[in-house]
Amino acid sequence: MEAFLLDRHLRPDEIDLLLDTEVGFGVQPLRAHVRECARCEAQLDQAREILCVLEDLPHFTPSVDFANRVMSQVQVFEPWHVAARNSVLRFMPSTRPARIVAGLATAASAGVMVAGGVWAVNRADMGLLLANVGLDEARIAANAALSDLILAAVGQTGLEVWAAGSPIVALSAGAGFIVAAGAVVVGLRALTAPRRRQSS
Amino acid sequence: MPTIDELVSLPDADVVRLAQEGRELAFRELVRRYERPVFSLVYRMVRDRETAEDLAQDAFIKVLNHIDRYSPEFKFSSWVFKIANNVAIDHLRRRRLDTVSMDGSPHASNAAEVEASAFDVSSDQESALDEMEARELGDAIEGAIGQLRPEYRACIMLRHVEGRSYEEIASMLDLPLGTVKTYIHRARHELRLALEGINE
Repeated sequence: MEAFLLDRHLRPDEIDLLLDTEVGFGVQPLRAHVRECARCEAQLDQAREILCVLEDLPHFTPSVDFANRVMSQVQVFEPWHVAARNSVLRFMPSTRPARIVAGLATAASAGVMVAGGVWAVNRADMGLLLANVGLDEARIAANAALSDLILAAVGQTGLEVWAAGSPIVALSAGAGFIVAAGAVVVGLRALTAPRRRQSS
Repeated sequence: MPTIDELVSLPDADVVRLAQEGRELAFRELVRRYERPVFSLVYRMVRDRETAEDLAQDAFIKVLNHIDRYSPEFKFSSWVFKIANNVAIDHLRRRRLDTVSMDGSPHASNAAEVEASAFDVSSDQESALDEMEARELGDAIEGAIGQLRPEYRACIMLRHVEGRSYEEIASMLDLPLGTVKTYIHRARHELRLALEGINE
């Protein structure tokens, strides 16, 4: 192999192998040839020099406001889980003892709330009874207020009709009252209209 | 919450995690770390400062607005470079600024088209050699990089300017490992040809 290489100069791909400092079976004869051949050695040196210059090429610098121009078009987005974690951390005390106290207080509050919830579920019947009592009280108060209103509007007779009658009778009475009131208003306007025309 | 000074010392993975949690300072830190390498890569791809700024900005906006999609199993830098390279390649394709390889256009379908589109280093009109002789080697390399096919350009810069491994480049550019090696080999060969006059 070595004798064969001495008969010709290195090809570009063989110079590349030496440039990449490859190690392997085929590289040793190439190195041996370069030691013997001044022309190939010069070619390899030239290639190495070019690579050195390439590797030393400087980086170019963009304009001063490059980063600001980039950032003006970048959407900085905080994911929900990070936002949630940060919110929790914001309330976290900075010192260790304070953090322990806060942890204990949180655990105690959570325990009380859970116990209250369990108790409320177990005592659902009592809750229902209390709710019914409350609803009855509210209904009685509402009825009393409505009665006062009817008494003031239509007098004792109307109130008695309201109290004795069915909802249909009560509704009919209410509708009759509205119709009668409307008729009175329209009648009064009709009476006053000719006088307004004459005066104008 | 880490301060800007603390962010500077954190590894990429931690800064990205903070950015995913919606920390604006982390976004800014990522821009600060990668604005120069990304801008340099894009600038060397498109060869126009204003366009490069716009494209690098687009790349960062894509990266940072989709930071929640970043998977930590990959290097963040690889993800950034991948997006920046895609943005630059898309731009070159849109604008049809595809520069021509010295070996002829990759789109040439027959020998005549390859010859017609080949970059002639000995041409009087485009005497790249003469032009390069007048420059320092670094400037000449910048010029020679500009003459490479965009795919070669991306590979050679990621390999030698950014110091990425072949495997990383293959992953970044969604190319088979063998293709990346071929591109880098051809790019080096073309650079050597283009710079022969400088070194002599």
